[in-house]
Amino acid sequence: MVSRRGFLKSGGLALLGVGLLGGIPGFLAEAAASDKIISPYKKRKTLICIFQRGAMDGLMAVTPFTDEYLKAARPTLFMSAAKSGNGSPLIDLDGRFGLHPSMKAFEPLFREKRLGIVQGIGSPNTTRSHFDAQDYMESGTPFNKGTASGWLNRAVGLLGHDALTPFTAVSMTSAMPRSFYGDNPSVSISNLQDFAIQMRGNPMGANMAARSFEDLYDQTSSSLLKQTGKESFEAVKMLQKTDIKNYSPANNAVYPNSALGSSLKQIAQLIKMDVGLEVAFAESNGWDTHFNQGTENGIFARNVADLSNGITALWTDLGTYQDDVTIMTMTEFGRTVHQNGTGGTDHGRASCNFILGNDINGGLIHGSMKSLAPENLEDGRDLAVSTDFRSVFSEVADKHLSINNDHILFPDWKGDKIGVMRA
Amino acid sequence: MQSPILKTAAKYLGGVSLLILSVVMLSSFFEADNPGKLFKFPYRQQGLTEKQAAAHLLSRFTYGATPGEIDAVAQSGLENWFSQQLKASLPDDSLNQLLAKYDALKLSNTEVVAEYPKNAQVLRMAIGAGVVDKDSVKTDRKVYRDILQNYMQQNGMRPEQELFRQFISQKILRAAYTNNQLQEVMTSFWFNHFNVSITKNDCAQFIPAYERDVIRPNALGKFNDILLATAKSPAMLYYLDNFTSSAANDDMADNKGLLRRRLMQNMADQSADTARRAMLMNKLQKAKKTQGLNENYAREVMELHTLGVDGGYTQQDVTQAAKVLTGWTIYPMGDYGKGIKNAVDKVGDGRLASRGFVHDGDFLFNANRHDKTDKVVLGRHFGPDGGYQEGVQLLSMLAHNQATAKFICRKIAVRFVSDNPPQSLLNKMTNTFLEKDGDIKQVLITMVSAPEFWTASAVREKTKSPFELAIGSVRSLHADVLQPYQLYNWINKMGEKAYYYQAPTGFPDKGQYWINTGALLNRMNFGLALASGRIPGVKVDLAALNNHHEPESAQAALVTYSKLIMPERKLDETIRRLAPLLTDPNLALKVDEASSNKLYAKVNQPASMSMTSAEKAMADGKIDLTGKEKNKPLAMQSAGGNNSMLAQVVGVIVGSPEYQRR
Repeated sequence: MVSRRGFLKSGGLALLGVGLLGGIPGFLAEAAASDKIISPYKKRKTLICIFQRGAMDGLMAVTPFTDEYLKAARPTLFMSAAKSGNGSPLIDLDGRFGLHPSMKAFEPLFREKRLGIVQGIGSPNTTRSHFDAQDYMESGTPFNKGTASGWLNRAVGLLGHDALTPFTAVSMTSAMPRSFYGDNPSVSISNLQDFAIQMRGNPMGANMAARSFEDLYDQTSSSLLKQTGKESFEAVKMLQKTDIKNYSPANNAVYPNSALGSSLKQIAQLIKMDVGLEVAFAESNGWDTHFNQGTENGIFARNVADLSNGITALWTDLGTYQDDVTIMTMTEFGRTVHQNGTGGTDHGRASCNFILGNDINGGLIHGSMKSLAPENLEDGRDLAVSTDFRSVFSEVADKHLSINNDHILFPDWKGDKIGVMRA
Repeated sequence: MQSPILKTAAKYLGGVSLLILSVVMLSSFFEADNPGKLFKFPYRQQGLTEKQAAAHLLSRFTYGATPGEIDAVAQSGLENWFSQQLKASLPDDSLNQLLAKYDALKLSNTEVVAEYPKNAQVLRMAIGAGVVDKDSVKTDRKVYRDILQNYMQQNGMRPEQELFRQFISQKILRAAYTNNQLQEVMTSFWFNHFNVSITKNDCAQFIPAYERDVIRPNALGKFNDILLATAKSPAMLYYLDNFTSSAANDDMADNKGLLRRRLMQNMADQSADTARRAMLMNKLQKAKKTQGLNENYAREVMELHTLGVDGGYTQQDVTQAAKVLTGWTIYPMGDYGKGIKNAVDKVGDGRLASRGFVHDGDFLFNANRHDKTDKVVLGRHFGPDGGYQEGVQLLSMLAHNQATAKFICRKIAVRFVSDNPPQSLLNKMTNTFLEKDGDIKQVLITMVSAPEFWTASAVREKTKSPFELAIGSVRSLHADVLQPYQLYNWINKMGEKAYYYQAPTGFPDKGQYWINTGALLNRMNFGLALASGRIPGVKVDLAALNNHHEPESAQAALVTYSKLIMPERKLDETIRRLAPLLTDPNLALKVDEASSNKLYAKVNQPASMSMTSAEKAMADGKIDLTGKEKNKPLAMQSAGGNNSMLAQVVGVIVGSPEYQRR
């Protein structure tokens, strides 16, 4: 078997504790300097991707509020940036686009130029099937269903070094997402507390079982089981150093009490534990708003509040780690320009996404979205895709994770980057 | 009263004698049917004893040997067992009894569509029926869910999720208890090869029938038959979108243009009625949907189902093959294919055939959508107007291609021999595949008759998938599975969300995919949970497994149960490693005490504060340190019956690295 984790060979992790107490052992520092292995002490960059499953209505999240066509197409869903009556108006970002009022947590980040938005992002494949569009976006090959790997898994393979710890790539989901399919080491886990040998109500039994397992896996003739067993117990020990259950976020960050909030909180914990997290993944559900999506209140408003509050809490919680982290959202497609007969919107084409980080070209609405005049619409009904998602994903991977091997990350794609990251 | 475990044990013993009897009887039939063709397995030449070989054979072609099965197979002859498994005709009365309570298993696709509509469809129907007001739909509110639930009940509809639950429960019971193990293992193999996924909403409803009618009956047949059957199944037609694929049609393009113009007019007119516009939009989308070539199936049938990615085809071949397969769609049922229904009604069911239509069960060849140009795939001409037969010939051509033979045989060898099977073995299997018209039985016989199957480098070289681990331990421990879905939750947690694998590649069949840190810890936790009876609805009677002989000590338990659970393996090292932990004089005490700790703490909270754990145990009257404690038989059941030393030992065995291999 190919050795998957350079640091284990060197016993780097076993020394982690020593390192924390008494500085970095000399030979390890030497090894790190020689570039043969990368020390776990060296801070790594982390990319966090959040998939909004169900297709977010990008036109409601970041509304082109001066567009008369949109206003006409959405008699009861259109929101304005002008203050009127009791309702909360959109947050005017640049005179043309307005942020949904439930995303007010994003406003300061946008003003500080840490948050960038791409309007009109999507896939060149025109499918309006959730399944197919998610599949294409996560595999990163919009015209090939048979691609075995996901783009984030390929990203892990392009980091330029062996995975340093069991936590290099972590998806906070119960099943492995399509983005993570592939040969490079990655883990999906919905709750970090599951990273332990468990016997409810019998900690001593669990302890003994753990010792038994550790011993057995240490002697097995299968190198795969031996190696992974070793990594598993190292992972357990790494997490045991911290009280995961009673974690209290820094800087008074308050995560929403939701599935997404819990995922993001655990990602923050991993980052702050310095366990070598480089690619993280979380999901947000419920964006398929065919019925009564609402305006300043309702399903959509709750969803964007959850998303923006979760991301903002994570950002606040990260504190001094902010420089090392980029957070990017994605969704499989957008929704129809016109509202439908049930107060919602149907499957469309382009949507928008959010990218947060200190190396983002923030405070801008990127992309080249045209007005929603009928002649500009795709198939006469949808916001046209003006930015290929691969353009944005590859630029973020390049600038943040130093991955510039586009023909592996996104085979078949040759396009231009649009400058969502600072040069 | 007889416990369910004992009943199963009795059932099982009956099963074994039936098995031995029928092996003897059937083997003579087999010889009569196939004079001189009885094969011989060369395991002795590879240094394996009869029992070791039986263990290997069972590890490959069952979901795990049940207690006593290795001996039974060794006794009756390995070849006899295998030829009987190839027939897949053993009675399964007790399994069928277990399955009887799942009433959705026998439904046809048409019945499924009517009884288990998709959630969004229910909502649309409820709005249509005026039960729910379209302007006040709030799918996240309990009241609305209740109203919908009521509506469904009154109209004889049931939630889709229940269909999947029944289907998955069925698979788990079948894998655990069928006597025709090889057929079931091959069913899993082919399902994964021709993967479809519940994650794709459009095809999800059709998946139970897909496995039942398309995969299982063809699992030991000819490759061409299973390929054709999958191509025509609603599940595959939806999963890889071929149902929508049609020749570009000028009429339709015109229609679309007209619709678009009307729509634009409408949009310019701001006072237009939204409902009318929505209707137009809908029509436009439908027109779009039903128009044009979709290459997804044509590409994957070559890349993943037949030739393999390096099988020598080009993008041009893909496009041409897609044209050959235009018009292959599903016969209208329920909400499905309303557009096609109009076409079919127009022609009239009776005259379908004369118009070149083919109606075969759920499959429809819609001649109107078929591309009637000349097509060339891999150098062979199709059409211009060969209709349905073009596709049949294309698939047959692919099924008999040498690249396909190589690709399929390699995949079979990877599944049943090792992650890296030797080329010499692959050559033998490929030859058989080509010579015997893709007969899977013959390919399997060639594989098992080859010395490569029995070499040391193959034995225990495969890593069990989570499904195989879970079902295998149920079989090893003779567990009674009363709530199969509970096992599914664990299988999912260990990394194999069966039937939900999104990509058409199916789950990768290699150890490296299954074994990662999170998954491995969950395997260990699964062993502990199963053995200590903490998986609801899965009953394990560890004492019965050893005929109610209580081991004298933890050490004895380790030796006895290791052999029971992992027969015919060299376990010296495992036992040597675990023994010191178990011989810690205070260990049994510690564990039993820890497990009773909670109980004790409840009755006597204050005292527990000032006592050591050992003292607490003594105070509880459980253990007498001054007596003959060390020689006491191992406590089989301690407080709650879940945390005994024995359960712990067995849990560690199931979670051990040796048990993860097969």
